[in-house]
Amino acid sequence: MAQQTHKETRRLSTGGRIDRSKPITFTFNDKQYKGYEGDTLASALLANGVDIIGRSFKYSRPRGIVAAGAEEPNAIMQLGATEATQIPNVRATQQALYDGLVCKVTNGWPNVENDLMSWVGKLGGKMMPPGFYYKTFMYPKSMWETYESYIRKAAGLGRSPKENDPDRYDNMNQHCDVLVVGGGPAGLMAALTAARGGARVILADEQNEFGGSLLSSKESIGNKPATEWVDDVVKELARFDNVQLLTHATVNGYHDHNFLTIHQHLTDQSFDKAPNGQICQRLHRVRAKWVVLATGAHERPLVYGNNDVPGCMVANAVSTYIQRYGVVPGKDLVLMTTNDNAYRAALDWHDAGHNVVAIVDTRKNPKGTLVEAARERGMTVMLGSGVVDVQGSKRVTGVSIAKLNEAGDQVEGAVIEVKADTVASSGGWSPVIHLSCHTGSRPVWNDEVVGFLPGPSQQQQLTAGAINGAYSTAAALEQGINVGQSALEKLAMKMADVSVPETETLTEAEPMALFHIPHPKPTHKAPKQFVDLQNDVTAAGIELACREGFESIEHVKRYTAMGFGTDQGKLGNINGMAIAAKYLKQSIPETGTTIFRPNYTPVTFGAIAGRDCGELFDPKRYTAMHQWHMEHGAKFEDVGQWKRPWYYPKAGETMQEALNRECLATRESVGILDASTLGKIDIQGKDAREFLGRVYTNAWAKLAVGKCRYGLMCGEDGMVFDDGVTSCLAENHFLMTTTTGGAAHVLSWLELYHQTEWPELEVYFTSVTDHWATMTISGPNSRRLLETLTDGDVSKESMSFMDWKAMTVAGVPARVFRISFTGELSFEINVQANYGMHVWKALFEQGKQFNLTPYGTETMHILRAEKGFIIAGQDTDGSVHPFDLGMPWAVSMQKPFSFIGKRGMQREDCVRKDRKQLVGLKTTDPSVVLPEGAQGVFDPKASIPMPMVGHVSSSYWSANLGRSVAMGFVKGGHDKMGQKVYYPLVDGRVVEAEICSPVFLDPKGERQNV
Amino acid sequence: MSDAMLNEKVEATKGKMVMNQIPADIVGESPLHHADLETLASRGQGQGGVHLKEKSLQGLLILRAKPDEVQLAEIESVLGVALPTTPLTSEEKAGEKGDISVRWVSPDEWFIVVPATVAFQLESDFQTSVSGHYSLVNVSSGYTILQLSGDNVVDVLKKSTPIDVHPSVFPIGKVVSSVFAKSGAMMLRRTGDNAFELIIRRSFADYIWLWLQDASMEYGLVIEA
Repeated sequence: MAQQTHKETRRLSTGGRIDRSKPITFTFNDKQYKGYEGDTLASALLANGVDIIGRSFKYSRPRGIVAAGAEEPNAIMQLGATEATQIPNVRATQQALYDGLVCKVTNGWPNVENDLMSWVGKLGGKMMPPGFYYKTFMYPKSMWETYESYIRKAAGLGRSPKENDPDRYDNMNQHCDVLVVGGGPAGLMAALTAARGGARVILADEQNEFGGSLLSSKESIGNKPATEWVDDVVKELARFDNVQLLTHATVNGYHDHNFLTIHQHLTDQSFDKAPNGQICQRLHRVRAKWVVLATGAHERPLVYGNNDVPGCMVANAVSTYIQRYGVVPGKDLVLMTTNDNAYRAALDWHDAGHNVVAIVDTRKNPKGTLVEAARERGMTVMLGSGVVDVQGSKRVTGVSIAKLNEAGDQVEGAVIEVKADTVASSGGWSPVIHLSCHTGSRPVWNDEVVGFLPGPSQQQQLTAGAINGAYSTAAALEQGINVGQSALEKLAMKMADVSVPETETLTEAEPMALFHIPHPKPTHKAPKQFVDLQNDVTAAGIELACREGFESIEHVKRYTAMGFGTDQGKLGNINGMAIAAKYLKQSIPETGTTIFRPNYTPVTFGAIAGRDCGELFDPKRYTAMHQWHMEHGAKFEDVGQWKRPWYYPKAGETMQEALNRECLATRESVGILDASTLGKIDIQGKDAREFLGRVYTNAWAKLAVGKCRYGLMCGEDGMVFDDGVTSCLAENHFLMTTTTGGAAHVLSWLELYHQTEWPELEVYFTSVTDHWATMTISGPNSRRLLETLTDGDVSKESMSFMDWKAMTVAGVPARVFRISFTGELSFEINVQANYGMHVWKALFEQGKQFNLTPYGTETMHILRAEKGFIIAGQDTDGSVHPFDLGMPWAVSMQKPFSFIGKRGMQREDCVRKDRKQLVGLKTTDPSVVLPEGAQGVFDPKASIPMPMVGHVSSSYWSANLGRSVAMGFVKGGHDKMGQKVYYPLVDGRVVEAEICSPVFLDPKGERQNV
Repeated sequence: MSDAMLNEKVEATKGKMVMNQIPADIVGESPLHHADLETLASRGQGQGGVHLKEKSLQGLLILRAKPDEVQLAEIESVLGVALPTTPLTSEEKAGEKGDISVRWVSPDEWFIVVPATVAFQLESDFQTSVSGHYSLVNVSSGYTILQLSGDNVVDVLKKSTPIDVHPSVFPIGKVVSSVFAKSGAMMLRRTGDNAFELIIRRSFADYIWLWLQDASMEYGLVIEA
C-alpha cells in the first residue's frame, strides 16, 4: 500500500456539482487518491490524471475511461476494502466516490501498466481473430480445460468474494399508475404532469441526482439555469404523497404484464459495508399500469484507427466531466464530430481555459448556433475531414487527420498530424431503447434520427424525449408533458395543468450519417479500429465475419462477441451494424438489428436474493414442542420445511447407540414421538364418507363413529402417493391424516377433485395440521402412562385397537387415537397446539416411572420397518401400486362408485407377474446392513451390465432383533419367498439376502392388541 | 371435564362433533411464546417506524359454506354480524361476549376471530341454529394474529407481499389471503391508516417473526405487549 496520496492534476479550481468542502480519500490499485463528495469513481480517477484503468479483453491493450455513464465499456472495477465486501463488475462511471473506497482494475494481468499478456496484442491479434473461441478452442476438445483457466484469467471481468457478504439486501414490491424511467427533462416533465394529475408515480433514475443531460448543461429553462429548474421540479414532486423518487436506481428489466425491476444502490454508494441495519442495495419489483420510457440516448463514438488509446472519449462525456465534476480530462483536445451537438465539448474545453487543437467536422458545410460559437472563439474547424488514426499507446500523443470524400467512406488527400492528448468523438446519438426491446418490440431504423427508435409498444408503454430521437430540450419537455397527459387519460384521470417552460432555441445543421472513418489503408490493413471496446471487436473483425459468410447481424454478433457481456452493445452495436451493412453493400435496416435483453446493467446476486438468504433462505416450521426438543439435545431432520427431531443423543452416545437405546426403550417400556407435523384435514359434510371412498383405495362406507382406518391414496395411474389414518369423529365428520411432506398436496388433491369432478358431493375440507399438537406414546407401558393423566377409560375393553375417544389428558381436552406405527400398544394424543407443551411436559413428569424415552424420526423409521410398515415417499416412488406393496387388503374393488387409481392399477403393465414387488430382505450375515438404494441381482456372476431386479428402499440395524432388517423391491418378489437375491456394492462386496416377509417382528400383531 | 361430558358433545347433532378444546385453568402457549415478546416489550425500545404486537390466544374458526338466504340469516343470527359476501371484505362488531371479526377468505370460506372461550360456544350455536351444509372448524391453535403498525408499516409489507396495500385499493377493512415472504396463506387486513393485522400459521410463526425483525431493522422495530 502506498502511503502517499496523489495530487489532483486535472481538476478545475471552481465549478461542477462536487462539494469541495468534503474531500475524500480512496484507493485505486493500492495507491491513494483524493476526490470530493459528488464525484464518481471515474471523475475522481480522471481528476487524478489516471489514464489507464484496465487492459482490454482480448488484445490486452491499455484502456482508459471513454464515457460518463452506464455506457462506459472499459472502466469496470473490482470494489471492496475486504474480502467479504468484494463486488465485481462495478462501472466507475456509476459508482459514487466515498471515503475509504477501495478498488482495483479487473482486467490486466499481472498489472495494467506493464502487462505480460500484451504480447498477444503486439502480434497484431493474429493469435486471437474473431471466432477465436469457436475456431481454436473447440478442438482439440481435451485442451479446452487448459485454455479455459488461462483465458478466463486474461479476460478477467472481476471475481466474486470468497467470504459471506456482510451486507443486507432487500426486495420491495411496488405498485404505481405511472413508472417514469429516466429523470432527464422528458422524464421530469412526465412525472410532474402525472403527479399533478393525481396519479401514483415512481420516478427512477440511475444517477445520484435527477436532471439527466441538464446536469452538465449551461442552458436555461423557464428563464433560470437548467439545474435550478430541475431542483424546483424535484422539490415539487417530493411534496406529493403519491410520488416516489428513486435515485441510483437503474430500471434493469422490462418484463411481461408491465412488471419491471429496478436495481437501486443505497449504502453501497457511501460505505464499503453498510452501518448496521441499513440496506446496501434494493431490488424494486414494480407493477406499473403505465410505463414512460424517458431513457435518453447514448452518444456514439466514431470508429477510427487506434480509437481505444486512453484519451479517446465520447464528446458528451468530455462535457460532463467538465461541467458536472470540474475535471478537464486532458490538455489538448481534438474533437471529431458528425453533428452540431458535440461542439459543446470543444466549447466547454475552451471555456475551461484549455486548448482546443482542432474541431474536425466530417460535414462539408455545417452552419448552426454552436458551430458559430466555436468560430467566434477562434477555434480551428476543419471541414469534410476525419481523424483517421491516433498516436500513443498509454495515452494519445498525436492525431492524424485527413480529408474525406463526400460519402465519408474514403480518404482524400494527405494526412496531417497534430499534437493532442485527447480525442473526443461523436457520431450522433443512439436512443436508449433497451427496455423497449425487453418487451419483444423490435426497434425501427430512422434515417432522420440516424438511429434505431423503439418499435411499436407491446405493453402499456409510452416514450418521451431522446429515446424518440427528440434531442432538443424543448422537444423533450414537450414530449414529457404529452406522455404524462396521455397516461392520465388512459388512467381515466383528469388532465393536469402543465405548460412547456421556455427554452433557448438553437439552430442546428443536419447531422451526417457516418460511423466508420476510413483509413488510407483498407480496413483489414489499417490500425485497429475498435467497434466494441469491452469485447475487443474491430471493424476488420466485422468485415472478416461478413467475408466468412456470417451475413446475419445476429451471427456477426455471435461470431465477433460484439455487444456481449455487461456492455450489451451500448456504444458499439450501431457502429458494428453500419460497418457490416457497408461491407455487405446494404442499408442498416436490411442488415437488421440486434435486440437487447435484460438486464440493462449488471445486477448483483445480493439484490436478486434480497433477504431470502441465511436464516431466511427457506421457512423453517416448528411444532409446539420444539423448544423442549432443543433443550433435550435433539438432532433435527428436515422433512419438507419442518424441523423434526431425528434422534436424541445422550452425552457420549453415537447416533447408532442413541437409536438402539430409543428402540429398545420403546419396545420394552414406552417411548414418545412428536408427530405434530403429520398433515391433518378436517372433513365435514353428509357426503364425506362417499368422498373418502373415492379418494382412498379401500372401503369407508361402514366405518363406525369412534373408529379409525388406514388408507392408501393413489393417483389416476394407480400409483400410491400418500397414506394415513382417517378417523370417524361423527357420522358426517372425519379427521384425515397425511404424511408430513404430503399434507399440502393432499389437501389440494381433495379440493381439486371436489371442485372439478364431484362438486355435487356435500363436503368441505379444512387443514388443521397446525391446530393440533400430536404426541404418540408407544410401548407396553403406554396405557399405564396415559392412565395416570386422563379421566378417560383407556382399558382394552373400553378402547380397542383402531378406536379413538375424547378425554382429557393432563387436564387438557384431547382426542386420543389408539393407532400404531410401531406395532406396539400406542396412543396418539391430540390437543390444541397451544397446550401441546403443557401435555408433553406432564407426560414426562409421569413418564419418569416408566423410563419414558423421547424418540425421533429415525427410531420411528426403524420401529416401523421391523413391522414392515411402508413410508410413502421412501418405499414408494410414484411407480408403485398397492399390489406391488403387497397390500391387496387395502384395496376394495367392490365399491359401488369407482375410486381414483382403480383403472390405472388394472392396466396390463400393472398386473404383470414380474413387476418389482416390495418384500423383506434378510441378509445372510445378520450383522450386515444393506445400503438403501443398493440394486439387487439374481446372479452375482452375470456379466456386466448385470440385469438389475430392484432396489433396497428401507434398511436399518434392529437392536430389538439383534440383526439388520430391510425392505426392497424385487422383480416378482412376492412369489420368490425364501430365494436369494444379491447386492453387489461399490466397494466390491456382494451381500447375499433372502427374500422374506417384510414383517420381521410380531407377525400376528399381538403386541398392539393388548 | 368428565369423559361423559365430552362424549355428550361427540354425539352432537347433524353427525358432527364439537368439543370444548380449552382447559379451564391452564394458560396456553401461543406460537410466538418462545420469542418472549412481553419481555422485549418491557425493555421499552421506544422509537421505531414499525410496531408489532401479537394478539395471542384468540378463538379462531374457519367457516365453509355456500349459504342461501335462509342459511345466511341463520349464520348472521349466530354471529351477530352479517357474513361478508363481497370478496376481500370483512365485518366486525363489538358484542357482549367480546368482539367478533369475520373475514372473507374465498367464495365459500370465512375466517372468524372471537375471544378464545367464545369459539366453542359458536360451534355449539351453529349446531343448533344453522341448517344445511356447512363446516365450522376450530383452528384457534393453528394460527396467531400479528398487529403491525407505524409510519413504515407499509414499507415492511412491500418487502413481504406482492399485494398492493395503497389506501386507494386497500381501504380499512379490506382483507386478502396471499403470500408473505416465503410463507403462504396469510391473511392481511387493514385496521387503520397505518395499521394492519396479519393472521399467520403457527408453524410459520417463527419464520415470519425473524422476517419481520430483519425487514423492519432499517426503520426500527418496537414490540408492544
